[in-house]
Amino acid sequence: MTQASPVHSIEIEDLTKEFTIGPTTVRALQGVTARIDGGSFQFVLGPSGSGKSTLLYLLGALDRPSGGSIAIDGRLINELSREEQDRFRRTEVGFVFQSFNLLGNLTALDNVLAPFLPIGVSGELHQRAEDLLVHVGLADRQRHRPGELSGGEQQRVAIARALLKQPKLVLADEPTGELDHRTGAEVMGYLRDLREELGTTVVVVTHDESYIEPGDATLRLRDGLVVSD
Amino acid sequence: MWRFAIQNLVSRPLRSLLALAGLSVAIAGMVGLFSVAEGIDRMVSDTFGRIPGLAIMQAGAPLPLFSRLPASWAQEIAEIDGVGVVNPEVWSRVNLIEGERVIAPPRFLFGTSIAERQKLETDVYRDAMVQGRFLDQTDRHQLHTVISRQIAEDNEVGIGDQLSINGDEFTIVGIYHCGQLMLDVSIIVDIDVVRRLTRFEPNSACAFYVEPDGTIDNEQLAERIREKFRGREIESGGSIAGAMATGNPLIDLLLAIQNWLTGGTPTRGSETVDAEAEPIEVRTSDDWAERFDEFSSDLNLFLSVMTSIGVLIAVLSIINTMLMSVTERIIDFGILKANGWSRRDVMMLITCESAVLGVAGGVIGCGLGLVGTEFVNSTWPDRLQLYASPQLLAFALLFSAALGIAGGLYPATWAMRLSPMEAIRRG
Repeated sequence: MTQASPVHSIEIEDLTKEFTIGPTTVRALQGVTARIDGGSFQFVLGPSGSGKSTLLYLLGALDRPSGGSIAIDGRLINELSREEQDRFRRTEVGFVFQSFNLLGNLTALDNVLAPFLPIGVSGELHQRAEDLLVHVGLADRQRHRPGELSGGEQQRVAIARALLKQPKLVLADEPTGELDHRTGAEVMGYLRDLREELGTTVVVVTHDESYIEPGDATLRLRDGLVVSD
Repeated sequence: MWRFAIQNLVSRPLRSLLALAGLSVAIAGMVGLFSVAEGIDRMVSDTFGRIPGLAIMQAGAPLPLFSRLPASWAQEIAEIDGVGVVNPEVWSRVNLIEGERVIAPPRFLFGTSIAERQKLETDVYRDAMVQGRFLDQTDRHQLHTVISRQIAEDNEVGIGDQLSINGDEFTIVGIYHCGQLMLDVSIIVDIDVVRRLTRFEPNSACAFYVEPDGTIDNEQLAERIREKFRGREIESGGSIAGAMATGNPLIDLLLAIQNWLTGGTPTRGSETVDAEAEPIEVRTSDDWAERFDEFSSDLNLFLSVMTSIGVLIAVLSIINTMLMSVTERIIDFGILKANGWSRRDVMMLITCESAVLGVAGGVIGCGLGLVGTEFVNSTWPDRLQLYASPQLLAFALLFSAALGIAGGLYPATWAMRLSPMEAIRRG
C-alpha cells in the first residue's frame, strides 16, 4: 500500500447539519465556513454540544450534511456515492475516538487489520500492522484483546489502526478524553509524529486546550457556529 | 471474514449454543420424521424387488388377507399363455402365539401350495432360509412350519421346537430371514392345513401368485389374465365384509368402512354381474410400489407439516439470536463502517455468522438424526425400519444452511442500514 498524497486544503462552506429526534429538530451545525490547511495540526475546540464531533464526522464522510459543502482538494466529500464514501474512509481517512472503539472479539493485531478484513489481508499488510504495534510500544501485546489492555494501550492500538492505511487525513475525536495527562500527551505525540513524518493533516476535537502548541491551528465552535479561528 | 464471524459467535458462547441447539433439534427432527417415509419407500422397493411375479386378488381387496377367489381359477390361470407357475395362497391373521395375544407387529399364517411352490424359480422365502429347510412334500397336511428368525427369536424357539399358534402346536422345520418387516411376518404352512385350522372354504384361496414364464412382459400378462376373467362372478358366497372377516375387530371395522365407502364388491352368485366388471385385480410389483408411493406422498405431506413447526421455531431462534447479537454490536458496526466497511461488508459478516450457525446446526442435526434412526432400528427391528438416505442428509444440511442464512438476513439488513455516526454516538 502506498501513502495517499497529502491534502492541500479542506474547504468547509456554509455547512449545516440538523438531527430530528421525535418532534424536535436539533441544528448541530448552523452554517460553518472554515478552511483547514493541508499538513496542519488542527484543533477544533468548544463546549459540549457545540457541534465539534458532528463537524469531524462530516469531514470523515460518516454522515451527510443537511446543507453546505466540504471540499478536500476540490473534491466534494458530501457528493460522493456511498461506495466512494466507503473507499474514502477505508483508504484516505483514519479515525481515532475518545472511547477507543476497538472490537472486543479481536486481538490488538486484528483490530489494526480490521479495515482490510473484507478485501483480504496481504502478508505485507500483516507485517506492517505488526511493525506499527511495535512502533507504538505494543510489541508484546499484539495477541491481547482490548479487555486485556489499559486505556492508553487501547488508544495506541486505535492509532496504529488509523496509521496502517497511511491516511492523508486523521480525524481524532477527544483522543485523550479517557486518558491521564501523561498518556494523553504520549498519544498526542504519536499524532504529531504522523504529521511530521507523512505530512498527514490531523484534525483533533478536544476540550483540553493544554495539548495545543504554538503553530497549531484552532477552530472554535459554539452553538454550531464558528466563533473564532 | 469467516474467521471474524466465527470469533464473534465464539465470543457469545451461550447464545450461540442455544441457537445451535434449537436448529440442531429441528434438523434432527426433520431427518427423523422423513426417515420414516424413506424407510417405507426403501422397504417397499426392496420387498417388491424380490417378488418378480404377479399377485391376483379379489377386486377391491387391499391385501391378499381380505381377498377371496375360487380355488378352481388357478387351473384357468395356468392355461393362459405366458404363465409359468400359479401358486394359491391362503392368509390368516395370527391372534395367539405361545398363548400370548399378538397385536404388533402382526403375524400371519401363510398357507401355500407346497407342490406349486417348489416349481417357483424365485421364492422370496425359500431363497432366504438361514436354518433348517423349506417346506416339502413331507410337510403336506402336517402341522409343520417355516418361520422368520424374528419370530423364532421373539419366542426363543429353534428348529425342531414346537410353536403354539392360535392354540395349535406346530413343529418348526425351517427359519428364514428376509430382513424386511413386510416379509418377516409370515408363518409358512401347507395351504390345506391353514384352510382346515381357520375354517377357510376348501374351494377358495385368498390370492394367486403367478410366476411368468418370461415369454411376455408382466403388463401384457396381467392384461391377459384380466381379460380371461372379465365379466365373471365370484361364487364363493357371503358378503365381502363377511368374506373379509379377520377376527380382529379393528381391522374388520376398518374393512367394513372401506367397503361402505367404495360401495362394496359384487360377490354373490345370485346377483346380476356387469359383463365389463372386473372380479379380480392383477398387481405387478410396480402396482404395489405405486400404491405405497401414494401413501408415502400423503405421509410426506403430513411430515412436512410437522417439520415446518420445528423449522419455524428454529428460524425464530436464529433471528432472535442474530438480532440480539446485532443490537449488542451496533457500535462495532459503526466502527467498522467508520473504517471503510461497506453496507454489503457488514451484511456479509452477519450472514456469515448465521450461515456458520446454519451449517453447524445442520451437521449436528444430521448426526443426531442419523444416530436416532439407527437407535430406533436397532431397538425395534421388527416394528420400525427408518432410513436416512445420503440424499435426505444432504438436503437437511443444505436446508439448515439456507435456514441459517435466511434467519440472519433481517438482522443483517437492519444493521446494514444503521448510520455509522448514529452507531458510534450510541457508544
